[in-house]
Amino acid sequence: MLTQTLLIINKLGLHARAASKLVKLASSFESHIQVKRKHQEVNAKSIMGVMLLAASKGTEIELIIEGVDEINAMEGLCDLIQNGFGESE
Amino acid sequence: MSLTLHGIGVSRGIAIGKVHIVKHEPVEISEYCLPKQHLDEEILRFEKAHNLAREQLQEIQERLPKESTVDIAGFIDAHLLMLDDSLLSKIPRDLIYKHQCNAEWALQMQCESIVERFEKIDDPYFKARQDDVKQVVTRIQRILRGYPDPSFDLAVTDLAQSIVLADDLSPADTILMRHHGILAFATEYGGTTSHTAILARSLGIPAIVGLHRASPYIQPDELIIVDGTRGVILAEPDECNLHYYKIRQYNDKCSRAALNKIKKSPTITRDGIPITLDINIEFPEDMVAVQRVGGEGIGLYRTEFLFMNRVAPPNEEEHFEAYRKVIQALKGHTVTIRTVDLGSDKQVTDSRYHDGVATNPALGLRAVRLCLKDHKLFKPQLRAILRASAIGKVRMMIPMVCDLQEITQIKHMIQEMRTELRHKSLEFDPAMPIGIMVEVPAMAICIDFLMPEIDFLSIGTNDLIQYTLAIDRNDEAVSYLYNPLHPAVLRLIKMSIDGANKAGKPISMCGEMASDSRYIRLLLGLGLRSFSVNPESYLEIKKIIINSNLRGLTHIANQILQTASQDNINSLLDTINVRIDI
Repeated sequence: MLTQTLLIINKLGLHARAASKLVKLASSFESHIQVKRKHQEVNAKSIMGVMLLAASKGTEIELIIEGVDEINAMEGLCDLIQNGFGESE
Repeated sequence: MSLTLHGIGVSRGIAIGKVHIVKHEPVEISEYCLPKQHLDEEILRFEKAHNLAREQLQEIQERLPKESTVDIAGFIDAHLLMLDDSLLSKIPRDLIYKHQCNAEWALQMQCESIVERFEKIDDPYFKARQDDVKQVVTRIQRILRGYPDPSFDLAVTDLAQSIVLADDLSPADTILMRHHGILAFATEYGGTTSHTAILARSLGIPAIVGLHRASPYIQPDELIIVDGTRGVILAEPDECNLHYYKIRQYNDKCSRAALNKIKKSPTITRDGIPITLDINIEFPEDMVAVQRVGGEGIGLYRTEFLFMNRVAPPNEEEHFEAYRKVIQALKGHTVTIRTVDLGSDKQVTDSRYHDGVATNPALGLRAVRLCLKDHKLFKPQLRAILRASAIGKVRMMIPMVCDLQEITQIKHMIQEMRTELRHKSLEFDPAMPIGIMVEVPAMAICIDFLMPEIDFLSIGTNDLIQYTLAIDRNDEAVSYLYNPLHPAVLRLIKMSIDGANKAGKPISMCGEMASDSRYIRLLLGLGLRSFSVNPESYLEIKKIIINSNLRGLTHIANQILQTASQDNINSLLDTINVRIDI
């Protein structure tokens, strides 16, 4: 199992478009992926779950990944979040 | 017996045709208990509906136009992901087994439990995503109940030769609809700036909004008459009505054809004085209407739309993109971009400004005042306008200025931004003209102090009248006092024109007065040589200008300026408008 704490840096936070990207990427891995914010923990493959975190810019989240492709999954998801979901700002 | 229904006419003209009704009616859900042996069948029914909902969304996605200002693709994409989220694909199935209930009820229970969780969120953007959940659930419910889906229906139906009557048309609906051949729009909700109104004006077809509770009186495929000029629908018209409207439709067609003939003529008065005639726009999409009437420059590009229906203010790129679209469509003509005028009748949907609602917003923290207070709101726009000046002829106009200090502050901000842009090697036009709207009487009175500070002026009559006469335009109890012909208003207009002329700087008028055919000759007589008007009034105003003789107009306009009695002013206005020798 891998865990990693990350900061949401893009301007709009995990809004619809960013959440869609996160869910699509998470769903491409076999591993079980959870996103945690404070005491709330949701399935990263559920768009409604991710939106329910209401993670705006500056929010700290934790990724918890367990499964056969956990290393690749962690790398991919960290890249996406740290690059601000490829948004211009 | 024909029936008349009243609404707000938002796009002129007459249409006679069959109705296509679009309803977003709520789906009624009841609970049924099912015997155990039928549960598998019920699950299958749910899965089938679920799959069909996905097919609908995919079909809508395929039909989306490539270029669109609303982020509808992102919106459909999120809906598809929600549909396949186990919260909506798996859990309802479990609920059917657990409660031995029908699919609709299981789905409804699950929807309520998701919505309840969204309700607890404080952030208004994330809280509002429950609407998306509800829309996705409603799509499945409709399929389960066998109701047609309005947006899907709109996307696939051939609407040629029909009048579209809807409770409301969402931005998604208007984008998905095949526009070709639609005769008119009529909706129960919406105002003059609704998507329906804008789309109708760009297509040049009649539209009426605000027809509250009209649909019970109208049957699908019924023949109706839409009078967009007066904001009236006639259902079950008799022979007499039909005859009357067919004649009016014919007359309209003739006068439109006559107006179309002057589309390419230069805007020059009979005595050979060239007049600048520009157009006001509100959205990049309005450029379609501009091109249809043969318009050239944009004398007022309102930018409030960028801030509407969203939580965070738009970023620099969004601004730039909206300006680029218009500049490209202009092919070398000038666009005057007005910095955002929020805070009065156009409230931003940002929770930050909802705290402590101002009792008199027209006199409160709005327009340039709000911009100078909230740089986060203003700076992205300023930078985007500066960058846009590198790709076309751009002028920047500031609304609601009441103090020269405000101009100094903005110039200072622009100076800083120019340095920033140079450091980043981003291009801009260092000579981009900066002007203001004359809306606050103080600016007309101090016109001699103002002129050295700015490059151009545009008179905004709506606010100028409201502030001069202390009349709240939206207060029905006093709106009868709202009078463009009040001597004080006319004198302020005259002072502004003379002041700008003396300084040798351009002055125009972009307020509603300039789009009203009754006042054009008077304004020409007062010395105004530049107008910016609504696209739908453009050709009519142009016709008045090219049929006018300035020499004769000046004399009567001066007489009006010297007249105190409103009755005498009105009769002089009639004289100036009907005399064919001037």
